[in-house]
Amino acid sequence: MSSSGWTDDELLNELRAALNEPPVDESIIRAAEEAFAWRAVDAELELLLLDASSDMNPALVRGDSSRMLTFHGERFSVTVEIDESGIIGQLIPPGPGQITLMTTDGPQALAHADEVGYFSLPAPARGPVRLECVVGDARFVTEWATP
Amino acid sequence: MGSTSRVGWLVRASADGDEAAWTELVRQYAPLVMAVIRTYKLAPADAQDVSQTVWLRLVEHLANLREPEALPGWLTVTTRRACARHLQRGRWEQPVDPHGDERIEVSTMPGLDAGILRAELRQALQDGLAELDEKDQRLLRLRTADPPMSYAEISELLGMKIGSIGPSLRRCLDRLRDTSAMRAYAAAILFAEEREGGDRHELVRMDR
Repeated sequence: MSSSGWTDDELLNELRAALNEPPVDESIIRAAEEAFAWRAVDAELELLLLDASSDMNPALVRGDSSRMLTFHGERFSVTVEIDESGIIGQLIPPGPGQITLMTTDGPQALAHADEVGYFSLPAPARGPVRLECVVGDARFVTEWATP
Repeated sequence: MGSTSRVGWLVRASADGDEAAWTELVRQYAPLVMAVIRTYKLAPADAQDVSQTVWLRLVEHLANLREPEALPGWLTVTTRRACARHLQRGRWEQPVDPHGDERIEVSTMPGLDAGILRAELRQALQDGLAELDEKDQRLLRLRTADPPMSYAEISELLGMKIGSIGPSLRRCLDRLRDTSAMRAYAAAILFAEEREGGDRHELVRMDR
């Protein structure tokens, strides 16, 4: 099947719909443009990717309102459980470190992970957030997520 | 520079810090991201959060996108993932099937796949139109105006014989089908069909 499978009328109708779609809100466009300010200029910063399967997790099965997100990188992972009262997380491999909760407006809170990597942070503000972590002389950052 | 690689060029320039290229990317693809989000019927504030999350993700991944030319597909997948997460959040306090998974949940929303395919098709049509020369674009825009213009009106506006408008339109549409944006869309659909065994093309047609 190729796009040559569309009749002329079908193609014209779709084109008409495409060209007459409602414009996207300027506020949404502006927010997207401003995202560019977060371009990684720091190659030292390792990016931890959100595990797609972390949508299904024990918290979900328990039926309470907390949710668990796991981010993986080559050398580090971080798992966080989030509910209305705040964030509890663990660095893996377990160990001390410094974690900053970032919003698009800048840092919201700072925490120190203990000897086994546990840390706690206040509940995140509305909108996308990410965690920036410093472990020894390594630095890493999670993908943006809307928890 | 060929229009073939316009999106690839924009991605690479953005990765190199060219803010104007980024602005062009956003303006061109924000409608696709929003169209995919709309198929999930999220609350406006959630839609805004998802959109911003998708663009922040793109910023993070600019330098390591394997195929910059395949950006529309990347945006669609990333937006779907972010929307699915939001849907699930809304269900947190409801009983859930512990053996269920995201794919099943999402595909139970009627019309979702067709809506997303349509969003991708419309993006491909707009990108394809931009690849055509100005004369073709003008004719197609007049014929797809809302409300549509008659051949007589088009004839007067463009100084064309009425009898030549039909054949010209057909040739324009053939050139539109042959643009790199439309060929990439057709190839992506073919790929999805082979992988999933369903006729996704039919899906879009039936969801009228």
